[in-house]
Amino acid sequence: MTVEESDLVLVKRVQRGDKSAFDLLVRKYQHKVVKLVLRYVRNPAEAEDIAQEAFIKAYRALPQFRGDSAFYTWMYRIAINTAKNQLASRDRSPIAYDLDLTDPEESHSVQTKLQDPDTPEGMALTEEIRGIVNSAIEGLPEELKTAIVLRELDGLSYEEIAAAMECPVGTVRSRIFRAREAIDKRLREVFEGGLGRTEEMV
Amino acid sequence: MKDERPEDRSQEDMGGSRQVERDSQLSAMFDGELASAECELLARRLTRDDALRGQWSRYALIGSALRAERGVKLHDKVARRVQSALTQDPAYGDSSSADVAAISTRSSSDAASASLDSRWMRFARPVVGASIAAGVAAVSILWLRTQGPEPELLASAPAGESIVLTAQATDTAADTIIAQAVQPQPESPPVSNGEPERYSTPAPSSQTNMAPPAHFANYVVAHSEYSGPLARRLALLGIVGTESQTDEELEADAAAGAATQGAVQGGVQGGVRGDIDNAP
Repeated sequence: MTVEESDLVLVKRVQRGDKSAFDLLVRKYQHKVVKLVLRYVRNPAEAEDIAQEAFIKAYRALPQFRGDSAFYTWMYRIAINTAKNQLASRDRSPIAYDLDLTDPEESHSVQTKLQDPDTPEGMALTEEIRGIVNSAIEGLPEELKTAIVLRELDGLSYEEIAAAMECPVGTVRSRIFRAREAIDKRLREVFEGGLGRTEEMV
Repeated sequence: MKDERPEDRSQEDMGGSRQVERDSQLSAMFDGELASAECELLARRLTRDDALRGQWSRYALIGSALRAERGVKLHDKVARRVQSALTQDPAYGDSSSADVAAISTRSSSDAASASLDSRWMRFARPVVGASIAAGVAAVSILWLRTQGPEPELLASAPAGESIVLTAQATDTAADTIIAQAVQPQPESPPVSNGEPERYSTPAPSSQTNMAPPAHFANYVVAHSEYSGPLARRLALLGIVGTESQTDEELEADAAAGAATQGAVQGGVQGGVRGDIDNAP
């Protein structure tokens, strides 16, 4: 089974009435979609708003999704269209004409607001999570580290990783799982309640 | 002190190994590397198990953290906001078949209405179509039944004598010939099987003014050999209906002038209506 087929299982559950299956898809792809939208808008908060809107649009259009393409490919297109529409509507917005960009002080303030609206707390937490993950990775045995890196960074399939590491596919599956478990354990230790606690902190 | 029995420990081990296996499956499913059947089962489990869902989220987070996606904040804010925004949206399809008990809010949003309408229309369309067709047919039959005694005529006529075609002469006898189904008369004996259709020339009457033109009538007669009485009647009615003015009307027009035209037309309409009423 491929990622596409695995996603399709969840998509079909949504189409049969299981709303929570859509939540799993959102959780899986939210960061990728935000990253994608950040190519169009610099403001991370705005990118999150657009990603949210794109996911809502996707949910409402899901009855028409027939699985001809991968869910993420379809989602990718929706996100790009939503971002482009957002940019177009912003261009049409009369607020832009109210700004006096010739005034250096006001211009600097606007640019700052548009480009860097992140709260320091949010960014600090993100950096903390990255630090935990990276430190957990460093502490892994070499075969686990290699397996998870080939999967997450290089996007290789289990079969490709098995060929690269000269081991059975089952071993690859086990190594990736063990690597994730080790990292997840560190994350849980730090945040105690898991991501729910993390969200509250954000 | 609590003594731990060996069987308790073995059950814990079994539970622990089951959980490890399930977590391993979750990891594989996240990567799209789980067998289809297992994927279905785990997806069902995921929708009910909050702990498993949290783990799913953290697997996504680990991937994002490893990729160091610039500008992406590592939290579930988008997912939570989407979930919150969709609480008012309906679930699709049959939620019971998807083992979802918690989904109960169904609003009348566009997507739901469209889905519901399409399902409803799929069943309703043929029923409505058939109902309309049946209604039109019933009205047509009832209307035709009120137009004349033909069914009774046909029923009472002897076999082989059911319909006799006669020609009715107008003032200009050669001009108009009407095909009319009437009871057999002494001067026009019934047509027996195998005999050609007979044309007779009855005495002129006031009704002949409403007779259709000869070429129309002849056409109908020539082409009605195999048509049913209803179809023939409809054709004749059409011809009579299109004959807007008769000779008498023209004469009346000439005599009375434009001032009386409305009255003449009223008479004509009455005459036509009467003709239809009395048509065979």
